[in-house]
Amino acid sequence: MILGNYLTAVALFCVGLYVLLTRRNLIKIVMGLSLMEASTYLFMVSLAYRAGSTAPVLVSPPAGKTAKQLAHGNVADPVLQNFCLTAVVIGVAVTAVFLSVVVRIAQHYRTLDADKVRAMRG
Amino acid sequence: MSSQALASLLPLPVALPIAGAVAAPLLARLHRRLAVIVGMVALGGAAAILLLQAPSVFGGLVRAHYLGLWTPVHGHALGIAMAADPFGLIFALTSAVVGAVLLLYTLSELGGLGPRELGGYACLFQLVVAALIGAALTADLINLFVWFEVAALASYGLTAFLLERPIALEAAFKIIALTTLASFAVFLGAGLLYAVNGALNYAPLHAALARHLSTADVIALGLLVAGFATKTGLVPFHGWLADVHTATSGPVSALFSGLMYNFGIVAIARLAFQVFGVGSTPILGLLLTVGIISALLGAVMALAQDDLKRLLAYDTISQMGILAIGLGTGTASGIAGTVYHLVNHALFKSLLFLCAGAILHRTGLTKLSEMGALARRMPVVAVAFVIGAASIAGIPPLNGYVSLSLIHTGLLDGHQYLPYALMLVAQVITIAALGKAAWLAFFRPRAQYYPQLEPLRPGMVAGLASLAGCCVVFGVLPQFFLDSVMAPAVAGLRYPAHYASGVLTGLARLPALHLPFDYFSPGELASVAGCVLAGAALGWAYLRAREPGPVRLLRAAHTGSVNDYAAYAVAGMLAVVAVLTLT
Repeated sequence: MILGNYLTAVALFCVGLYVLLTRRNLIKIVMGLSLMEASTYLFMVSLAYRAGSTAPVLVSPPAGKTAKQLAHGNVADPVLQNFCLTAVVIGVAVTAVFLSVVVRIAQHYRTLDADKVRAMRG
Repeated sequence: MSSQALASLLPLPVALPIAGAVAAPLLARLHRRLAVIVGMVALGGAAAILLLQAPSVFGGLVRAHYLGLWTPVHGHALGIAMAADPFGLIFALTSAVVGAVLLLYTLSELGGLGPRELGGYACLFQLVVAALIGAALTADLINLFVWFEVAALASYGLTAFLLERPIALEAAFKIIALTTLASFAVFLGAGLLYAVNGALNYAPLHAALARHLSTADVIALGLLVAGFATKTGLVPFHGWLADVHTATSGPVSALFSGLMYNFGIVAIARLAFQVFGVGSTPILGLLLTVGIISALLGAVMALAQDDLKRLLAYDTISQMGILAIGLGTGTASGIAGTVYHLVNHALFKSLLFLCAGAILHRTGLTKLSEMGALARRMPVVAVAFVIGAASIAGIPPLNGYVSLSLIHTGLLDGHQYLPYALMLVAQVITIAALGKAAWLAFFRPRAQYYPQLEPLRPGMVAGLASLAGCCVVFGVLPQFFLDSVMAPAVAGLRYPAHYASGVLTGLARLPALHLPFDYFSPGELASVAGCVLAGAALGWAYLRAREPGPVRLLRAAHTGSVNDYAAYAVAGMLAVVAVLTLT
């Protein structure tokens, strides 16, 4: 079951990497990086998985269980999920800056072809 | 002040610049220069608090503070740890002080910008410095990742900030693409280490890794090293670096090159020495190899450049390689050399980029082939540039001499003769490149006259003078800095268990180290003289010869395409992981 998650994450990562390495359209490059980013989240959340565990929410435990029982029992690893949330927030900010740079490039150069936006080389 | 009180002050050097970053755009509405002034106050305050820590920390203490007093229980740390060890404190202090000087310079040079521009500029600038101080003082991987991203986001903004030239946008796209790729590596590496060892704090992580090192841990180390090497601009992760410096203004380049790239080296040093420990993985050999490749390639590419700031940018890659070489020696002298060079590089490379920025700002020229005879028109800039270039060349009594000889000693102590020879070759090429730049820009005769050049403002002169003065001070008092500042830092890196116990218990004392330094060592003086002569000859020959074939090939490999640079970085990442896991 969880193996499927890992395989999906790896596949997504490879698709994103393929786009990053082969596409010259700036927006596609941003999309490729976003795909890779999404795959890292999937990977991280999958790492937090434990067989038969519940969500790591200890505030209002289900009926018949106390928070202490849950904490000592089987919950998914909250640290990795937390780590993921942090990265999601950062990722949104980065994508926003990224796309605004692409918009400015499109305005200045009138093209989205990365090959036409490489005045600096060598 | 009591140790407890000092520890509880530790979050402030980070919080102050962040508060300043929020205040800057708001205060800019009252008066545009207030934005930059509040930045200088915030960075000055951060530096003052760090200086309060300095006597005890440089006396050999590691001091830690957990936010909200979530202190570790039975060796398990859940809280957010801020730890001041001598190594981190050096980097944090350098960042705060040099950052404040750069802001002063900015106020003077770019003070004519509008309130919106200056407000945003001061905000992003302080965020970068806050992230650097945070990275220096943090003691856990997740915060290291967060500071990495804070520095990265602010640097994207600064790269594209002053759209004097549209190439700034091209540069911004490249730095975002490559740094985002690096951030995935850091994120995955940190997550993997946590998943295997159940800890993010350096101290429990070090204990867990010392007990048992699995393949997953080593892969994580490879990912982290590759990620931070991208931030530092080590070869082959360096594609974006030269473009960024070609496009940005002088003070921004100085901030990036002098301070921000060191982030990666600091993180790699912490991971290699304090988290993993050097015996269990081939990390030192890897650093040595990557360092030598970076030093050589950066120097050769610098020699081939005609754009002054691009030349300095490639030289930055070369200097980052030297830092990696020093770490890679693993000896006390070599590590001390790296720590010393970290400070030196912040001083002399900021100085050089400010000079280049001043020339660009005054004359509008970027190409060395169009400059000439600037020494008579801009004597202050000429003197500052020559001091900076001579520091990098390692000419006594300037600071580069001390750090380079320490790294040389480290290499010879470890019987690494081939790396030593290659480092000297890189040094010769570096001297040739900088000598060529100084000659072409300042001293060679120029047929046509410049139109009336705007004189330097007092703040700019103060900035250049303080950086150049520091270059001299760090060059003439090596034993003082070695004993009082560098030796404790080396001890912190060489004795990870002591650092770990300091992080866990909140207070620990590092073993004392003594680093001898022979200022008048005949071998070292002879090698400097030889390098300078060979460098001058090479520079002279290069100006007259056609571009050699290998150099043309190297330049052709830097295609300027994001796809290619990403491919180099990914290949490098795979190579780093493969080397670490397979050997």
